Amino acid sequence: MSLTPNALCFGSDLPGSGLPCRVEISSDGLTLHAADQAPADRPVPFSLLSVEAGGFDHDQLVVKWEQAGVGRTLYIKEASVIASFRQAAPPELAAQMERTAHAVRRTRSTRRAVLLTVAGTVLAVVLGAWLGMDALVGVAVSRIPPEWEKQLGQMVLQDALAGQTVVTEGPAVEAVQAIATRLTGQIPNSPYPFTVTVVHSPVVNAFALPGGPIVVFTGLIKEASSPEEVAGVLGHEINHVLQRHGMERIVKTLGIVAVAAIVLGDQQGLIGLAKELGVQMITLKFNREQETEADLTGLRLLHKAKVDPAGMIAFFERLAKSEKEQQRIELLSTHPMSTARAERLKAELNALPKFLPEPFAFEWEAVQASLKAAPPPAKS
Amino acid sequence: MKSEILYPGAFPMVRVQLDSGESFKAESGAMVSMSPTLDVESKMEGGLLKALSRKVLTGEHFFFQTLRATRGAGEALLAPTVPGEIVILELDGVNEYLVQKDGFLAGSQSLAIESKMQSFTRGLLGGEGFFILKIGGKGTLILNSFGAIHLMELKPDEEYIVDNSHLVAWTATTTYKIEKAAAGWISSFTSGEGFICRFRGPGVVYIQTRNPQSFGAWVRQFMPTSSE
Repeated sequence: MSLTPNALCFGSDLPGSGLPCRVEISSDGLTLHAADQAPADRPVPFSLLSVEAGGFDHDQLVVKWEQAGVGRTLYIKEASVIASFRQAAPPELAAQMERTAHAVRRTRSTRRAVLLTVAGTVLAVVLGAWLGMDALVGVAVSRIPPEWEKQLGQMVLQDALAGQTVVTEGPAVEAVQAIATRLTGQIPNSPYPFTVTVVHSPVVNAFALPGGPIVVFTGLIKEASSPEEVAGVLGHEINHVLQRHGMERIVKTLGIVAVAAIVLGDQQGLIGLAKELGVQMITLKFNREQETEADLTGLRLLHKAKVDPAGMIAFFERLAKSEKEQQRIELLSTHPMSTARAERLKAELNALPKFLPEPFAFEWEAVQASLKAAPPPAKS
Repeated sequence: MKSEILYPGAFPMVRVQLDSGESFKAESGAMVSMSPTLDVESKMEGGLLKALSRKVLTGEHFFFQTLRATRGAGEALLAPTVPGEIVILELDGVNEYLVQKDGFLAGSQSLAIESKMQSFTRGLLGGEGFFILKIGGKGTLILNSFGAIHLMELKPDEEYIVDNSHLVAWTATTTYKIEKAAAGWISSFTSGEGFICRFRGPGVVYIQTRNPQSFGAWVRQFMPTSSE
C-alpha cells in the first residue's frame, strides 16, 4: 500500500532519521499508518499525548506518548494536520498547545529583538568608527616614533628608485636642493632629515615619503615656468611629511581591514567587498583632506621663507587648464580639483600679512636648459 | 533522475542519469562531463535577491547549475571540489535537512532550497556563519564532505557532541546548542576545540572526518611567503 507521509515517527526501535508515516486525527485520538507496518487497531487516545514545538523554525508540532512500554515521538509539519489536531484535542491538551504556541512566538520575537539589537550595534560601531576614525588614527600615529617613519621612508625610497635614473649632479639638482633648503630652513626642530632626489622622468610631479625623502621628477622642472612654482610643490610635499600623512594613511588602511575582519568574522564575501570598496573610498576621501591641509600649510611655509606664493597658485591654475584641455586627471587623480585648490590658496594668501618676496639666486632658464642639454644616461 | 556513486572513497564522482526532459541542480562548477543531449543552464535559484543573499550570506555559489536533458536521455558526472565522500539521500517530503555552506553538491529540481539564518549565538560561535541551507521537498539530495562522512543516529532525547567544523548536515528534527568545549573560556581554546555543538535527538547528523579549517592552517605553514 502506498501512502503519502505527512509526519515522521521516532522511537528507539525505529530508524534514526525517522519513519515516514501518515497521521490521521479523529475525535478518539491519533492513528498512525506506516508503509511497512501493520496498521494500529485503535487510535492512541489524547489522554496519553503531550505536545511541544520542534524543528529548525519551531514550526513543527511534536507529539510524544508512551504505550505498552514503547516511547514514540512524532514530528508533524503539515499545517492542515496541526489544525485538525488542535480542533479535535480535548481542552487540557488544547491549552498545552496554546502555551507552546505562545512560547514559540516569544522565542521568535526575542530572536528578532536580539538580531535587531546586534545589527543596530554593529551599525553604530561602524558609523562611530567611520566618524571617529580621524581622531583614532591621529592618536595611533602620534605614538609611532619618527625613527620608524625614517626607516620605512628609506625602504620605500629604495623600492621607488629601483630601475629609475637618478640625476646626481648639475644645475637642476643644485637648484632643487637650494629651494628645499630655503624651505626646510624655516622649520625649527624638524624631526625629519629632508633629502631631495631628482629622477629622470617626463612625469610632472613630485612625492614625499614618511620620514623625509622627497623625490622630484625632471618633468616638473621642465614644466615649471619659475623656481617659485617648484617651491610651491615642494612646500606642499614637505608638509605631507610634517603632518605625517603617509603614516596616517597606512594606519587607516590597516585599521579598516582589521576592524572589518573582526566585525565580519568569517563572512569572506563581505570582507572582500569591504576591502575593495571601503578601503578605496576612505583612502580617497582621506587623501583629499590631506592634500588640502598640505596646500595650506605649504603656502604658509612659502610665506615664511619669503618665496613668492604666486608661483604655487600659477602652477595649480596651469594644471587646472591642462586638466580641462586634456582630461589629464590621472596626473594627480587623488588631489582636489586644481581650480578649487588655486581659489583656496588665493583666499588663504589674502589672509596672510603682505611681504616682499626674495627671488632665488640661480637662473631658471639655465637650470631647464641643463636638463635638455644633458640627455639621460642609459639605464643600467 | 537516478544517481550512483563512482569510486567511493576519497575521490568519488556521482553519475546522474536523466530521462528526456528531466533536470536537476548542482553546485556551480560541479559538472565533470555529460552526454551531448544535456544542456547546462546557470540559474539564479529563487530569483536575484535570494541568489544574492545565498552568495553574500552563506558564501554558496551565486548560481546553481541546472543540467537539463533537453534533447533526450543522458547522463552527467559530477565531482565536488575537495577530496571527500559523497552521500545520496532520498527526501520523502517530510524530512528536512540543514546543510552547512559547502555541503551541497546536487539535488533534484523538486527540492526546495532556502538560506536560513541561525540564531545569533549559533551564527557567531558556530563557525558555519550566520546562514545555512535548509533543504526540503521530495527528491534526491547529494551531499559532499571533506574526508569521509560519518552518520550519527540520535534517538529521542539522546545527546551527542560534535566539533563545529566537522558538521555537514543534520535533520531539522534535531535541536542543537553551541557550547564552550571546556568549562572555562581559556581552557576551551587551549584544548584546541573552542566551541562544540550539543545535538539532541531525534534525528541524524552527518559529520565529516576532516576539519577544513585545520587542514587549511596546516597547509599554510608550507606556503612560501611572498618577498614583496
